[in-house]
Amino acid sequence: MHAIRIIGVEKNFGEVKALSNIHLEIEKGEFFTLLGPSGCGKTTLLRTIAGFCRQDKGDIYIENELINDVPAYQRNTAMVFQNYAVFPHMTVFDNVAYGLRVRKLPKEVIAQKVKTALRSVHLEGFEQRTPDKLSGGQQQRVGLARAMAIEPRVLLFDEPLSNLDAKLRIEMREEIKAVQKSLGITSIYVTHDQEEALVISDRIAVMNQGRIQQIGKPWEIYRDPLNTFVANFVGKINMLTLKLGPSAGLGYREASLGNITLHVPAHGTEQLDSIIVAFRPEDVVEVRSTDRRNTITGSLRTVSFMGSVARFEVDVEGQILTIDRHRPRETDIPPIHSQVVFSVPPESVLLFDPVSGKRLGKGDRS
Amino acid sequence: MSGKIRRADVWTLVTFAGFAIVVVFLIYPLFDIFRYSFIDKDSGEVSLANWIQFFSKKYYLRAFTNSLFIAIATTFFSMVLGIPLAFFTTRYRIAGSTFLTTLSVLALLSPTFIGAYSWITMLGKNGFLRTMFQSIGVTLPQIYGPLGIILADTLQYYPFISLMTAGALMTIDRSLEEASENLGARPRRIFFDVTLPMVLPSVTGGALIVFMMSLSNFGTPMIIGGNFLVLPTLAYNLFTSEISETPGMASTVSIILMLCASIVIVLQQWLASRRKYASMLVNRPVVKRLKGIRSLVAHALCYGIVFLSTLPLAVIVYYSFRKTSGPVFKSGFSLDSYRQIFFDVPKTVTNSFLYSLAAVLLIAIVGTLLGFIIARKKSGVVKVLDSLLMIPYMVPGTVLGIGFIVAFNRPPIYLTGTAIIIILTYFIRRLPYSVRSAASILKQIDPALEEAGINLGSPPGRTFRTITLPLMQGGIISGAIMSWVTSMNELSASILLYVGQTMTMPIKIYLLVVDGFFGTASAMSTILLVVTGVSMYIVNKYFSKGSETFVSA
Repeated sequence: MHAIRIIGVEKNFGEVKALSNIHLEIEKGEFFTLLGPSGCGKTTLLRTIAGFCRQDKGDIYIENELINDVPAYQRNTAMVFQNYAVFPHMTVFDNVAYGLRVRKLPKEVIAQKVKTALRSVHLEGFEQRTPDKLSGGQQQRVGLARAMAIEPRVLLFDEPLSNLDAKLRIEMREEIKAVQKSLGITSIYVTHDQEEALVISDRIAVMNQGRIQQIGKPWEIYRDPLNTFVANFVGKINMLTLKLGPSAGLGYREASLGNITLHVPAHGTEQLDSIIVAFRPEDVVEVRSTDRRNTITGSLRTVSFMGSVARFEVDVEGQILTIDRHRPRETDIPPIHSQVVFSVPPESVLLFDPVSGKRLGKGDRS
Repeated sequence: MSGKIRRADVWTLVTFAGFAIVVVFLIYPLFDIFRYSFIDKDSGEVSLANWIQFFSKKYYLRAFTNSLFIAIATTFFSMVLGIPLAFFTTRYRIAGSTFLTTLSVLALLSPTFIGAYSWITMLGKNGFLRTMFQSIGVTLPQIYGPLGIILADTLQYYPFISLMTAGALMTIDRSLEEASENLGARPRRIFFDVTLPMVLPSVTGGALIVFMMSLSNFGTPMIIGGNFLVLPTLAYNLFTSEISETPGMASTVSIILMLCASIVIVLQQWLASRRKYASMLVNRPVVKRLKGIRSLVAHALCYGIVFLSTLPLAVIVYYSFRKTSGPVFKSGFSLDSYRQIFFDVPKTVTNSFLYSLAAVLLIAIVGTLLGFIIARKKSGVVKVLDSLLMIPYMVPGTVLGIGFIVAFNRPPIYLTGTAIIIILTYFIRRLPYSVRSAASILKQIDPALEEAGINLGSPPGRTFRTITLPLMQGGIISGAIMSWVTSMNELSASILLYVGQTMTMPIKIYLLVVDGFFGTASAMSTILLVVTGVSMYIVNKYFSKGSETFVSA
């Protein structure tokens, strides 16, 4: 049984297509993330699941129950809000107890459940505080405890960490993940922070302009992006558009840009006259000589030392590419404007169709 | 599904009721005034006679220029007093500055006519200050006429400017001034380049309110103006003398007064809609401690301004305890004046309390419901209602009073001489304030809070009751108390509408002053002052987030 099934959901706001043709299946206990830039429809999708807005088309099932016409207050989903939405006129205890009281549970049970929820977010002893005496992080813990306390069928997170500072954000995301795993509540998490999504999720759906671009495990999303949008949005990537030339034999074709000539697999390129070659900064291998095939030469522009890596910006045929050097030492950083020669192992190179943006070599899938 | 439809119907009903109120109690009477202004009173024919007369006779035109003169002068002097007071109390440590603010708010909220007649007791024909100075050979000018109006108006209304400016000064992020200093600006330069531009919207906003208040003020010029007529008193005089005929000329004057007020309101709205400098308030401005002579001068200035504005109130309270014999004050103290009120005119007191209470209940309920619609239901119809609800801002009390008489002394709605008509004027005059404040409170309540309630399983009705309403409560109550104060002190409309049975305290005070019974008038004014002060204290203590509540609510 799927915890959540979304079939062909569409939603328009006037002329704007907020959601088009959304299909999703989320497993019980899964931590599922909707990732995308602002305005991509991720929050709309979350609010549609919660029942705050109604889809124009399509069906939503929670645990095999069709909930299209179930009002928000009967869906038994619990949301953790971006701006906390902690009731300012209630104590921490009353906030967490709110949903339990609505469910008319006996007093002792409520007290017990509130206690458990507060313990799991490390807020024991805060019961009688009012929200104005809490920090942002503590308020969000109250929000989390309040949502958990009702033991919902699904927990919904609407960018819950975006109002917190960087250090707290990292602490809190670990905590959310731990709490979710220990309770095993199915969770849908909305964020625009790709790093957060990679760390926290079992699976991720990357969204753009109301459409799902790719669904997959964090590894797949990062290592195996299906199109240029996903490749660009998740992590840093270099992209060069090269002109395709004649066959280079052995199933390869020449692709060139200025002085660079690379050999790329010919499969799937028959209809194309150019191609996007993409690779991540950490996959680059620096080489000493330009003799080897498939090398790229550029001039070093800037060096940013980031501790575990030194990030080079290299001018290649007028385009700035980023390459990382691991375990850098000051003595082996080349001077600015010097020539840098590098290559990328074939298995780390991603090829895209510059017109459709789709991955090549994955053609059978799309 | 059925629940959804029923809910929709409730709000449609409220919207419809809102329109009904506006049409029956605003548009209908105002249209009547408009109509009468085009009826020649001799022939009863439709004509432009009234309008031609207004613009050709010096008598009428002078009231117009007088009104503008008074409003401009009052605004100017209010700024002269208000801006320095705001600057000193927010930027320098002034001992007892909270106390000063409280006093100036009391002066602001006290009935307008009390200040006016208090100045008469001090600087009138037989005023005690005047006789005092006379005895040492100094002849002070008499207070009747424009001088008195400007004096009384300025000392009543300057807090609008000082409070709004102080509010703005306190919310300027200190970093902005520091940035200016850091870039090499000297203190004077910082003030003119950064501080002043940041508070200018608030200063002009306050100035326009003062202009508007002074333009439509009826009580002060009526009591202290003498032969110096302004538009509201002209309209009142014309109306009371035209009572047997069609009120053509009074209507024309009313329309002109309303046009002037509308222009000011439109200006104010335009100004308010322009960008305000909202700040994150990371760094509050520093309050500097002055030393020696500078500190002395600053204190003298602040206390001087505020004490001058509360002096009339103190004088009233003092006179209320003086021994009297009829209209004459005798030496010694007594409670005679109060005894007189409770034996002779207790009905006046109960009327005031009852009518205001009834009006406040109406205002709070209707205002909250309409405010909810305006904040949460966004449709074209609601927008129209929202702008129609602005109209009472532009209708001076005198105009509304005249409109109510002409419209409601004939079928289909006959209300002349009833208590209802007075309660309705209170209601209509305060309604836009209460709608606005309810709407703005709702806008400050994050919709996510209501969503959180619903999301946790609470149905919409329960969510409104357990979350929205408790969060609105403070705002509704403090708004209601402000309505209560203004209703208790209302004179300009009710003086046209009362009959013997429905007389209220402000009307009685006015009549007592005219007849020279200063003792009883003082005692009654003191009662109003105490009511005002206590209400203010309650708002301040339990509901307010600063003195700005009093100028915005």
